[in-house]
Amino acid sequence: MSLCLFESVISRPYIYKAKVAALILSLRPQFATMGKATHSSSSSIDSSKHPTLSSASSSLYHQSKTNTDLSSDLRLGLTLSTSTSLLPDTLSNSDSREPSTDWPPVKPPQRNTVAEKGNNRQRPIFFVKVYMEGVPIGRKLDLFAHHSYDGLIATLAHMFSITILYPNMDRVHSDKDHVLTYEDKEGDWMMVGDVPWEMFLTTVKRLQITRADRC
Amino acid sequence: MASKKKRNSTEGKENLVSPFPDEVLECVLGFVMSHRDRSSVSLVCKDWYSADRWSRTHVFIGNCYSVSPEILVRRFPNIRSVTLKGKPRFSDFNLVPANWGADIQSWLEVFASAYPHLEELRLKRMTVTDESLEFLAHSFPNFKALALVSCDGFSTDGLATIATYCKNLTELDILENGIEDLGGGWLSCFPENFSSLEILNFANLNSEVSFDALERLVTRCRSLKVLKANKSVTLEQLQRLLSRAPQLVELGSGSFSQDLTFQQYAELKNAFNNCRNLHTLSGLWEASSLYLPALYPACVNLTFLNLSYASLQSAEFAKLLPNCPLLRRLWVLDTVEDKGLEAVGSSCPLLEELRVFPAEPVVGGGGGVTESGFVAVSRGCRKLHYTLYFCRQMTNAAVATVVQNCPDFTHFRVCIMNPCQPDHLTNEPMDEAFGSVVKTCTKLRRLAVSGLLTDLSFEYIGRYAKNLETLSVAFAGSSDRGMQCVLEGCPKLRKLEIRDCPFGNVALLSGLERYESMRSLWMSACTVTMNGCRLLAREMPRAKKGCPSLRSHPLRIIISMHGRLSR
Repeated sequence: MSLCLFESVISRPYIYKAKVAALILSLRPQFATMGKATHSSSSSIDSSKHPTLSSASSSLYHQSKTNTDLSSDLRLGLTLSTSTSLLPDTLSNSDSREPSTDWPPVKPPQRNTVAEKGNNRQRPIFFVKVYMEGVPIGRKLDLFAHHSYDGLIATLAHMFSITILYPNMDRVHSDKDHVLTYEDKEGDWMMVGDVPWEMFLTTVKRLQITRADRC
Repeated sequence: MASKKKRNSTEGKENLVSPFPDEVLECVLGFVMSHRDRSSVSLVCKDWYSADRWSRTHVFIGNCYSVSPEILVRRFPNIRSVTLKGKPRFSDFNLVPANWGADIQSWLEVFASAYPHLEELRLKRMTVTDESLEFLAHSFPNFKALALVSCDGFSTDGLATIATYCKNLTELDILENGIEDLGGGWLSCFPENFSSLEILNFANLNSEVSFDALERLVTRCRSLKVLKANKSVTLEQLQRLLSRAPQLVELGSGSFSQDLTFQQYAELKNAFNNCRNLHTLSGLWEASSLYLPALYPACVNLTFLNLSYASLQSAEFAKLLPNCPLLRRLWVLDTVEDKGLEAVGSSCPLLEELRVFPAEPVVGGGGGVTESGFVAVSRGCRKLHYTLYFCRQMTNAAVATVVQNCPDFTHFRVCIMNPCQPDHLTNEPMDEAFGSVVKTCTKLRRLAVSGLLTDLSFEYIGRYAKNLETLSVAFAGSSDRGMQCVLEGCPKLRKLEIRDCPFGNVALLSGLERYESMRSLWMSACTVTMNGCRLLAREMPRAKKGCPSLRSHPLRIIISMHGRLSR
């Protein structure tokens, strides 16, 4: 059987071994005095339990600072401080603003990885230029805000107040309709809509709306 | 299993019913794999003990302080594979100070003389130095498999020694260790004629390895089944690795975002298309929705998808899932939110395990998943039996619904990240939630509780959780009675870990009878005093001298209290 008691890393780490097993031990200031706080199960339910609650704990803390002689503590937990005092100090390190590394219980490799990405957690964006034929001033559009051609067409139709055709559409086109084209990474101008949406996103560089009778 | 008739071997063989030669017994026992069963076997009688002793090739030690290496080698002379666990689980969360112990060196020295043919060493939460790794590499010529999980004390130099000298290595699995990363040169240390590797996992190392060396290694190791690269490996490089090793069954990709040309994208998709044997996929750092579709063809046989490093949004996640119809285990970040979990419920009917990790693991943060995502999953995934769920709010009603939908839970771990948070709709404690868990899930073996909890929740646990083996408690309970209920009521309890609860000496000492049958007890930031601990040490029955059975691991009790050193 091994019995190990150890001190937290906050205070001086000091290890001494008893005969039977290793005993490393230090005591939390709050609980050095087994004060006369009466405990009842109700006290743990009432009052908010937020970590910001500090008045209860601070009084206990000051009380216990004066009592450093633990050998005089003979009471075996017959009087207990209530659980309300536990919460604030454990987590809200009043000295520093640094988040606790031991709660929530997430392993460091994952904590670090996610922290790195913490700044990039907004949705990624991909703006491309859109020109309407005959109009010298273009617009810009975030392609990542859409998930399919339908959404893109709808947005463009709204942006330019036109009707846009695309392949496989069941419509007889008139002279007023427009067609959406794009310039791909190889510099060619292609009709939008032939390739899968995801593939389109990897290759599109800019968009142009041209009149249907030109295609 | 043959009948366990007790035999008094001193009475001579004429009294025995159908004895069979020891060789037969040893042969039969060779088929008994589970270490718990093996321990049971060894307790039947002296002959069976002896047969187990000689035929045992793999030993599992859940608590490295429970037995000394000398005793181990004396009892089992033919061990080829050792699994050792050291520090308590809370050391993962920085709750155990450095230099606590669990050093492997003393074990290795004993093994070097007693088990020169040692082939496998699997360590969890042990301290391993570079010197130990060097010693290992030189002492065991047949060494095949090294797995280090959550260990610390070594650097990439130690890995270099292993790569250089272990000529028969089949497995190198380095997972989530506190390793000092001095560079990626270790990978280049595998000799050019080395080709036996089957499992390579260096996903948690940060330094860039020589891709050239990696590619050549993957090419010549034709039996490579598991490859988990780190995030320095790019998509383009991944494509090349995959085309060399389409036989992989487990893949950990590197970083999953890069500016690919259309051609490169097509090649990547093609490479994944050829990897239809994959049953496990992980990595996917910085996965962007742009390239995820390249994965789809490879997901057709996937049973385990680990997205815990990929911050996916719900839309792209929902598109990915229908491509994984056979999914049984899913680990995901809470960036997918409740909407993403709804997609899980509708796309993954075979799901058995769900772990949702927090993208922002801080108290008082925002976003993430709520109780409605949890319920949505339970509605669609009726086979769910393992969950680890980090959330910022939960309700008693939701948990009750979840366990009603999925009554077969064996592992139920819910972490409401703000400590002592009540049911956010009713403002009541979460007692009824965990009460419903233990009442409904009779097969429950592992439970982690959170939120505002009074002693009532522990009364429930003690009354109903009769198969419970592991219990994790934080910021909960009102008095000693809570812990007492658990100790009195859960006969199969083996591991109890408690932090920041108002349990004191009375509770601690009430478990005197129980501790003998447990593996470990952890208490930190509770109201236990030093005198209570002294009393415990004095009152606990001494460990048996002589021949301790490995089944009843001596207990490791760890009690820590923050603050000033006493005396």
